[in-house]
Amino acid sequence: MQPISYARPASLASAIATLAEAGPGTRVLAGGTTLYDLMKLDVERPERIVDINGLEELAAIDTSGDELIFGALARMSDVSADARLTSAFPALSEALWKAASQQLRNMASLGGNLLQRTRCAYFRHGEPFACNKRTPGSGCAAIEGLNRGHALFGGSDACIATYPGDFAVALVAFDAQIDIAGPDGERSIPFAELHRQPGDDPSNDTTLLPGEIIVRIRVPADPVGRASTYHKIRDRESFAFAVVSAAAAIRLEAGVVTDARLALGGVATVPWRAREAEQSLISKALTPETARAAGELAFADAVTRQHNAFKVELGANVVRDALLIASGRA
Amino acid sequence: MKAGPYAEIPRVDAYEKVRGRAIYGTDNNPAGLAHGAFATATIGKGRITAMDLSEAQAVEGVRLIVTHEETESLQPARFIMQHGFAFQSYSPVLTPHVAYRGQPVALVVADTLQAAIEAASHIRVSYEEEPFTPALDSEGADPVPQAEAATAWPIEDIAVGDAEAAYAAAAVKVDATYTMSTQHQNPMELIGTVAAWEGEHLTVYEGTQNAGACKFGLAEQLGIPAENITVISPYIGGGFGQKNTTQSQLVLAAFAARELGRPVKVVVPRRQIFHDSSFRPATRQRVRLSADSTGRFTAALYEIDAQTSMHDFFQSEHADTAARHYGYGAFRSFARLVPTDTPTPGYMRAPFEHATAFAIESTVDELAYELGMDPVQIRLLNDTKIDIVSGLPHSSRHISTCLRRGAEMFGWDRRTPEPRSMVAENGDLIGMGVAIGLYVGAGGPNRASIRATRNGAIEISLGVHEMGQGIRTAVANVVARHLNVAPESVTAILGDTRGVPQMLTAGSWGSASSIPAAEAACEALREALDALGTNAPEGASPAEILALADRDELSVNAATFAPGQNKEALGEIDTGHVAPTGPVYPDFVTYSYAAHFVEVRVEPTTRRIRVPRVVSMLDCGRVLSPRTARSQAISGVVWGIGGALREAGEVDERYGGILNADIAEYLVPVNADIGSIEVGFIDEPDPLVNRSGVKGLGEVVLVGVAPAITNAVYHATGIRARHLPVRIEDLI
Ligand SMILES: Cc1cc2nc3c(=O)[nH]c(=O)nc-3n(C[C@H](O)[C@H](O)[C@H](O)COP(=O)(O)OP(=O)(O)OC[C@H]3O[C@@H](n4cnc5c(N)ncnc54)[C@H](O)[C@@H]3O)c2cc1C
Ligand code: SF4
Repeated sequence: MQPISYARPASLASAIATLAEAGPGTRVLAGGTTLYDLMKLDVERPERIVDINGLEELAAIDTSGDELIFGALARMSDVSADARLTSAFPALSEALWKAASQQLRNMASLGGNLLQRTRCAYFRHGEPFACNKRTPGSGCAAIEGLNRGHALFGGSDACIATYPGDFAVALVAFDAQIDIAGPDGERSIPFAELHRQPGDDPSNDTTLLPGEIIVRIRVPADPVGRASTYHKIRDRESFAFAVVSAAAAIRLEAGVVTDARLALGGVATVPWRAREAEQSLISKALTPETARAAGELAFADAVTRQHNAFKVELGANVVRDALLIASGRA
Repeated sequence: MKAGPYAEIPRVDAYEKVRGRAIYGTDNNPAGLAHGAFATATIGKGRITAMDLSEAQAVEGVRLIVTHEETESLQPARFIMQHGFAFQSYSPVLTPHVAYRGQPVALVVADTLQAAIEAASHIRVSYEEEPFTPALDSEGADPVPQAEAATAWPIEDIAVGDAEAAYAAAAVKVDATYTMSTQHQNPMELIGTVAAWEGEHLTVYEGTQNAGACKFGLAEQLGIPAENITVISPYIGGGFGQKNTTQSQLVLAAFAARELGRPVKVVVPRRQIFHDSSFRPATRQRVRLSADSTGRFTAALYEIDAQTSMHDFFQSEHADTAARHYGYGAFRSFARLVPTDTPTPGYMRAPFEHATAFAIESTVDELAYELGMDPVQIRLLNDTKIDIVSGLPHSSRHISTCLRRGAEMFGWDRRTPEPRSMVAENGDLIGMGVAIGLYVGAGGPNRASIRATRNGAIEISLGVHEMGQGIRTAVANVVARHLNVAPESVTAILGDTRGVPQMLTAGSWGSASSIPAAEAACEALREALDALGTNAPEGASPAEILALADRDELSVNAATFAPGQNKEALGEIDTGHVAPTGPVYPDFVTYSYAAHFVEVRVEPTTRRIRVPRVVSMLDCGRVLSPRTARSQAISGVVWGIGGALREAGEVDERYGGILNADIAEYLVPVNADIGSIEVGFIDEPDPLVNRSGVKGLGEVVLVGVAPAITNAVYHATGIRARHLPVRIEDLI
């Protein structure tokens, strides 16, 4: 049997030190809802586990100031229920409570949520499937296979796996920052730089360096968050990943759009910001027509595959509906 | 004794279940238990040429690895439809052959489950691969006319009148093809076995719908006398036809336990259940239906291609039900089986009728639109009292009453017929659809033994299994009425080969075969009590009579069989076989019926479909236990919603097997998918089919829900969905 060593440091500093010594084959454990799942599937075979659940400094939620601050260990259920969030940033709250199930949300942390891995079945289910993400160089079974759930944006010849999470899609729309701690101290990056597109190395999902952990997420408390929504279309009404989702926020002044935020889920290899579509709305009234046009623009550069082409039309409508729901809250 | 409708009583085992006290098959942990895990094939088809077990054997705690090289003494399983006991004739691990991806190739047994799983992942297998045909639509998947398929119970195509000519001459007609993906039962309780030997005697704990087949099938495979085997299965955590016969793990667990001299538990993980057990086959159905200008059906031509495996003909009974939906002027069916490199498909809840109803009831809806007729009216117009196939009368057929009462309960008169004509305030398109369903009214033999004690206990043993459908509650209710005792005083011993012979509980014949036996046993007990000559007052309970007679207890046996059957049928169940009969009896034909009314809401932009409201009206003969019957009916509607909008096995033809082989990816409905479900019962006893007046319920409840949904989707959107499940992309 493969032995696993387990450590439960009590402070961030000792967690960083433990990770620095540990080297490759080490995994951070938060809620475990992704990690244990992938271990059971034999996709993850860690030799060492560093359990960060003892790091109370990572669990804080503070939504009172100019920045919303979420510790990486804050639980999805607690954050989604935060009163300031539900009124000032409904998109962030909805992205959390429309994800997974209540049981999972009670266990799962925000940090782990951001770092969940793709649902691509060829990736998850091991032999005999070719998968460059799981086994670099083995090929990609999805490109010529069942790819209804695969990406229309950000894919490569090596991998078209969709980033599955919801919360990250909402975060990317609001210019969030991520604070990271590692052997060389703390650093801070725009959230949009956390995930990386597969390119020719799909095995690595993020720009985190070895031994680094996510400490917190910061979101500027921009008033644009108020008229926002996370609109998620899925194959059933709950407990399913997005077929297509859109995080949308709108600011209207004198009947025209002065700020628009739009990000797409379920259709890209990373949380996908649709900036051109955002721009197209500025100085216009938000109507079903302008909203639909923005949706079409958001999907204009989609690269479709055999089973996912319907998402171009569906996606344009999801964006349309998301923008209208958001503007209804302005 | 009272007559008339039965009183509603609570589910007698509810407390056991909600407190976790009900012990299911693999909940048993006999002392010294070892755990098994399978290594599975990664190729679509071929032969094992070599196995390297060294790494697996090196895992600490591994005690035994069973491969085809050790199992020569075991006999292969025999397919139930060849008068055997197994869901298929193919026996993984007993052969170097690989028939489909995901089949077990070795069983590892270890001190802990963890060690067994770990070791199984280290078994290295070399194969000689062969080309394979994994799905109904695969290239090279060639249909075989069913009439030519060699099976133990051949099924002929049906021809009533000259349907081709009538169809050709008809004024109004529809010709449409319907397809369905495979579906996979996902009971909460996984398939599994605990096998424990004590000397020559083997005790098996297993969640099974067929303890008799486990006993006799295992005896045959192990080469030991059946009386050396006890099978105990008091509760089943859902069967749905998947646990109706023996599965691959049973004989291997028993074999490993014997080799090791220790009890062995093998629980088959969810992913492996998708790959090595029965499922609802994919189908392709073509219906040609014609009517005269008044809406009377002049002809129906029904064709089906149904998936089977390379090693067995899983027979299609789809046409038999298709022929009974209406009183068509003429009817013709053509059934073909399409062998694929998969496990043998099987009897997933409403195994044929669910698919058939989708095709027939959708076509009827299309024809109603062609004719400009109301979909309820056209169904009422084409009802029949006579079975067109046999010419015999139906013993009870209340489908028109179901339609009328259902329509009223649903508020069908508020429906405007034009597609897209009903729009909700929020812009959602509203659709209302109707469909009927039917299911064979089967019957069968059963034995019963009943014991009354002076302290008031009644113990009854019957050949039937409690799989959540509520049979234990129904038995308590019936016995309580017949013996004038409280339901709580009745203990039913079910799914246990230490009692009377256990017949397969399936095909909605559980109540129809066991309840008449229970009634006969009650009657025999009454007679035996009378014979004690106590002159007890009218209505005295067995305990009172026993007290007067100064007796501690009294036991009697009884046996019943269905119309047209004789004692030979009892011989079948005494040896672990099935002996159902119906729906065509010597003098009449019996079916159960359902009318479903569905409201859908479709979002105009994203095409998201929701089902806020379903009304189902059911004719299952006498309702024995109103509460559990209602639960059955609601569950059938939920199944129908899953079948219509959610469930599909996804096959990547390059690899074979099922890609979405877990319940995160194979979608079944969740609570948020389900709105209001109202059910009603006609509750009229069938006068002929058995002494209890009871027909089946557990399957008919699901039949017709799917087409009621797709008919509602058509009404909402003007788009006719001819493939199940219907997904967003089908409406874009
Ligand atoms: C059945 C199911 C359905 C789901 N449905 C959805 C859905 O609809 N939408 C959705 O968005 N999600 C969904 N999820 C995913 C779920 O949200 C994630 O599994 C969860 O958020 C992960 O959080 P965790 O704390 O359990 O992470 P863990 O499993 O503990 O960790 C996940 C990964 O992140 C790493 N990690 C964790 N914390 C840190 C940190 N602070 N710094 C660095 N690395 C870290 C771990 O090493 C691991 O690699 C679903 C999951 C399941 C099992
Ligand atoms: S899409 Fe990516 S994750 Fe999926 S099979 Fe291809 S390489 Fe693997």
